[in-house]
Amino acid sequence: MATTERPQGQAIVDRAYEFLVNNRVWKSIFRIGYPNTPRNQMLAVATNVFLHLHPTRVHRTHVKITHTYCLGGLSFFLFLGLTVTGVLLMFYYVPSVERAYADMQALQTDVRFGMMLRNTHRWMAHGMVITVMLHMMRVFYTGAYKPPREFNWVVGVILLVLTLLLSFTGYLLPWDELAFWAITVGTNMIGSDPILGEVNQFVMIGGFEVGQNALIRFYTLHVIGLPLAAAIFMSVHFWRIRRDGGLARPL
Amino acid sequence: MVAEAPAPASSRQRGAMPSVRPRRQREEELLVWPDLVFVEFIAALIFTITFVALAILINAPLQDRANPANTPNPSKAPWYFLNLQELLIHMHPALAGVIVPTVFLVLLAAVPYFDTSNEEQGRWLATPRAWPNMIVGMIVGFVGTWVLIVYDSSKHIVLYERFSVGSEAFRVWPPFMAEENVRTWPETLNWLKSVRALQTDINWHNDLTGVPIGETFIRTDLLGLPRGSIQWNVPAWIVEQAIPIGIMIGLPILLSLVAWRTGLARTRRDHMILLISGWFASWLVLTVAGTYFRGAGLELLWPWDVYPAES
Repeated sequence: MATTERPQGQAIVDRAYEFLVNNRVWKSIFRIGYPNTPRNQMLAVATNVFLHLHPTRVHRTHVKITHTYCLGGLSFFLFLGLTVTGVLLMFYYVPSVERAYADMQALQTDVRFGMMLRNTHRWMAHGMVITVMLHMMRVFYTGAYKPPREFNWVVGVILLVLTLLLSFTGYLLPWDELAFWAITVGTNMIGSDPILGEVNQFVMIGGFEVGQNALIRFYTLHVIGLPLAAAIFMSVHFWRIRRDGGLARPL
Repeated sequence: MVAEAPAPASSRQRGAMPSVRPRRQREEELLVWPDLVFVEFIAALIFTITFVALAILINAPLQDRANPANTPNPSKAPWYFLNLQELLIHMHPALAGVIVPTVFLVLLAAVPYFDTSNEEQGRWLATPRAWPNMIVGMIVGFVGTWVLIVYDSSKHIVLYERFSVGSEAFRVWPPFMAEENVRTWPETLNWLKSVRALQTDINWHNDLTGVPIGETFIRTDLLGLPRGSIQWNVPAWIVEQAIPIGIMIGLPILLSLVAWRTGLARTRRDHMILLISGWFASWLVLTVAGTYFRGAGLELLWPWDVYPAES
């Protein structure tokens, strides 16, 4: 691969830079030089697994904030933030009716930054519901669902449902009054369907009322089932943005 | 990535890309690194700071431990489902809880298959008449949903009894508020108090409140199965199902029809913008009403009565 294209100098900083970069270890990690030439800048995007979600070039208008307000990206960012804070929260939380509420109290009072951890997770969850909905409105009003992007809109609707379900399953976990009755009201709505309602409700909460079975089901769905499903559909969503020609723009 | 060169529309739709891109398009492109990555980084930074600040400033609620024996009043679903809970007040639970959201999501997913043109994509409301359609849709959705909620909560009775007093109101001060001036809703119009009043305030014939479907129409006994005992309550069916379904399907169709006849909406995109904007507004009103305007017993109240200031 290319050697570094940084100008040679005698300053101590430059020598330190050379020492850091011109060795086999560094070059085994970063296969391209400093991204200060168009070639290296494109390679920086194309050879990095995270950045290669992007094309190497985008249209001038797509960089304008008002074109998308970054809403889709921010939804994804919140998903990542929720994953990180969620994993940390799992260290302190046991999904049992006996322990759940006490764990929440302990998290808030005994764990360093526990309250903040919980707050961040909760506000990010609400934030994600809002950004996903705003993202959908943005896509609608910019006509970005039009051919050839029809199916990606459908994937987006599925992701909206998954976001709502993720938030809903997480709502029960604190096992306080708010959680318990919100889930009771919510699942009763499903149970009111005359045909399959009662069966669906029974399967969802694992019984006739919200209890230990509901808690473990919601917990499992919240921490592994739904995030996996969301990750799969997000992969499809992002992949198809690239495949369908990047962001929509006038033909 | 789609070429801007005058390639035939058909080849573009199949996703075929010309091998050599025209020069002009290259010049209108930017490199993702640094231009886009920078924007994304700043956006992520702003959101991180915002959420850390939020987490420091506002604590997530933790109420008392769940107690199945003690039902709070009102008990509410999470805020993003309060629109459905609001619907629940006005119609059959199966409609509000399952059928309406399912049908809504399916229709939402089907939007690109109705609106198949690909003109003017990628720009905000760029088709002609997009703005007027959005504004009209949102206003109709907003006002219409509020009117329906107010009607079904009998609040028009309150308005009538306050404000229908004529000139004599001004003999007492303050007008409209004084007890002497209150004129009550005429009893003959009791059936207009709410949608439910159609069932309760009309003297329905007994034959209509219990049509024995199980015994006369669905003769399961002829198949050797036990005889069904389904009693069709026609007035309840009208109130809980026929009217809500009629309103939810009829009003959007009516809106679309009026917009079409007046020339407001001509293309499918126009109709999509009109209806989806109406839906967005309606959904917002339902969420707000369910969140801030529903107090104990899910009574329609002002927000300051639902959440009284702690003194």
